[in-house]
Amino acid sequence: MEQTLWQACLDRLESELSEQQLNTWIRPLHALEEDDMLRLLAPNHFVLDWVKEHHLESILGALQQLYPNRNLQVLLEIGSSRKPPAKKAEAAVAGDTTAEESVLEGEAPGGGLNPDFTFDNFVEGKSNQLARAACTQVAQNPGTAYNPLFIYGGTGLGKTHLLHAVGNLLRAHNPAVRVVYQHAEHFVSHMVRALQHNTINQFKHYYRSLDALLIDDIQFFAGKERSQEEFFYTFNTLVEGHQQVILTCDRYPKEVAGLEDRLKSRFGWGLTVAIEPPELETRVAILKSKAQQAGIHLPDEVGFFIAKRIRSNVRELEGALRRVYANSQFTGKPITLAFAKEALSDLLILQDRLVTVDNIQRTVADYYKIRVSELYSNSRLREVARPRQIAMALAKELTNQSLPEIGEAFGGRDHTTVIHACRKVKELQQTDEQIRKDYKNLLETLSD
Amino acid sequence: MAETTARQSQLPLNLSLRDSATFDSYVAGPNAQAVDYLHRLAGHGWEPGVYLWGAPGSGKSHLLQAVCHAAGAVGAAAVYLPMELADRFPSEALNGLEHLSRICIDDIEAIAGRRDWEIALVHLIDRVHAAGGGLVVTGNAAPPALGLELPQLASRLAGGLTLQLQILAEADKLQALQWRAARRGLTLTMEAGRYLVRHYGQDMNRLFTALETVDQASLVAQRRLTIPFIRDVLGSRMLKTE
Repeated sequence: MEQTLWQACLDRLESELSEQQLNTWIRPLHALEEDDMLRLLAPNHFVLDWVKEHHLESILGALQQLYPNRNLQVLLEIGSSRKPPAKKAEAAVAGDTTAEESVLEGEAPGGGLNPDFTFDNFVEGKSNQLARAACTQVAQNPGTAYNPLFIYGGTGLGKTHLLHAVGNLLRAHNPAVRVVYQHAEHFVSHMVRALQHNTINQFKHYYRSLDALLIDDIQFFAGKERSQEEFFYTFNTLVEGHQQVILTCDRYPKEVAGLEDRLKSRFGWGLTVAIEPPELETRVAILKSKAQQAGIHLPDEVGFFIAKRIRSNVRELEGALRRVYANSQFTGKPITLAFAKEALSDLLILQDRLVTVDNIQRTVADYYKIRVSELYSNSRLREVARPRQIAMALAKELTNQSLPEIGEAFGGRDHTTVIHACRKVKELQQTDEQIRKDYKNLLETLSD
Repeated sequence: MAETTARQSQLPLNLSLRDSATFDSYVAGPNAQAVDYLHRLAGHGWEPGVYLWGAPGSGKSHLLQAVCHAAGAVGAAAVYLPMELADRFPSEALNGLEHLSRICIDDIEAIAGRRDWEIALVHLIDRVHAAGGGLVVTGNAAPPALGLELPQLASRLAGGLTLQLQILAEADKLQALQWRAARRGLTLTMEAGRYLVRHYGQDMNRLFTALETVDQASLVAQRRLTIPFIRDVLGSRMLKTE
């Protein structure tokens, strides 16, 4: 009964508006019917404003035609069916603040934690065991074990998973604990809003009174001086008060360009650990664990095949598994090695064709048994500098990236450094048999 | 001359001749798996996102609209957002969308290299996953080839189910065209259909525009759709693709 009024209205609008208008502006509205009032909840004020300006008349017209004898009122406001709308309709129509956008967003139930990410379903391997161990320690002794804990590594390797796992364990031990997970970008936008709305004191109080603050991807602070300053004070207050801080970043803190030195040095006060791309055994274990969670029967040889071919990160491993599973469901065929090869063929061809700088860095680091992060670092030790130069030369040869782009991908180096590396490697190939062999091997590995 | 004017003045009523972009009106051809996946799941909650990629005219937008349509049919809120909107709205336009049950993002390549939008999409994807909604994103290339600035975004797209949509074969195109003609109550002979497919069928959107144009013209002129008539009408209004 509740939905029929809006449903009827939608049916009528279908003949009036284009499919796109309908799907972009009308279908996102969630309708609630209360007596003679139709409350339409828009997901944000852009949708709300647009509907008000362009489609409200059509909606009212349609309702009038459908129910000429009812004196129906329509209220447009921001909200969703999943939470009670926070404001009175008038306020929502007039203003643009919603519960969603207020400074205290983190106060939303759950503190931004996703209960699906736990230590139990985090697959441990050589590449991540240090980070995992540090996180377990911190979750058991917050504020005292390692503070701050700084985790860095590439995308899709499980940094976010670990942050949530700490938060969830903290909460399991003490349901009253005030723990907030937040992406650095959100911290920035909260601060900007707090400044705009003159609520910066509430903002400060909120963050500084937490028991644990988990900030993801702090490289997003780069170049945002005001946010860095605010974060600097929040950070100090928390660490001095033995409140736990965990930060993640896609690279070693010292390598983040546009981050103030005082922040970089403070980030190193506690413990800094790296997460590396998983090695083959871990990749197989991850696939098995994911398959088991999803109730997919994954033969060992298939798991091994996928893990061998998809080397980049955990997320993409999952994507490949999903593809194989979806294909098997669609065709009704069991997952065998031949089936998986077929199902992933386009993905693998594509991957082979697309040699990325990322990929080159991982392969070279693997080959020389150094960490990928060392390739970004300032280290001039030959055992790091040489592989770095080789990786740069390979990037020049195998990708379409420009010299400045390659330099940027190696910890923000200048393009002249890349030119120098290319020349050097060319020269060395003539004079140094080992380098010649290494380069040839790497070239083959990357383009097989 | 006077006759032409009289004819032109007999404008057809702008009734609902719009072809709904539903699953029914999508000729799947080689894309049966993608359609099946979206179709089966359009009515239920599903796992993390789907990324569909393919050349223009392979039916990406149509499928997204179909997902929204199917959601609407069961009373669920859904949204279709083509990323060309990024020219007119700030990235905050993605706020709150995770509360909808289906979120369809079309032409992601349009925001490649626009950092604010890329960041906003990374967050949206994470929020949708946490909220358990269904996300479908489309683009013109596989995730690593989109030219995205943030590896976080490419990796999130690659982490869901990725499927490539293929361009339809000529017979499938003809079938799609006939389907639409029939919905309009148009009699389209096989010859006329083949003529349209051959000359305007490189891109499905273009093919359907051609059909719409000749349909309107035949209503105005009260003529049947013969090849000479079609050639006459379209010759002056549309350039052939070959």
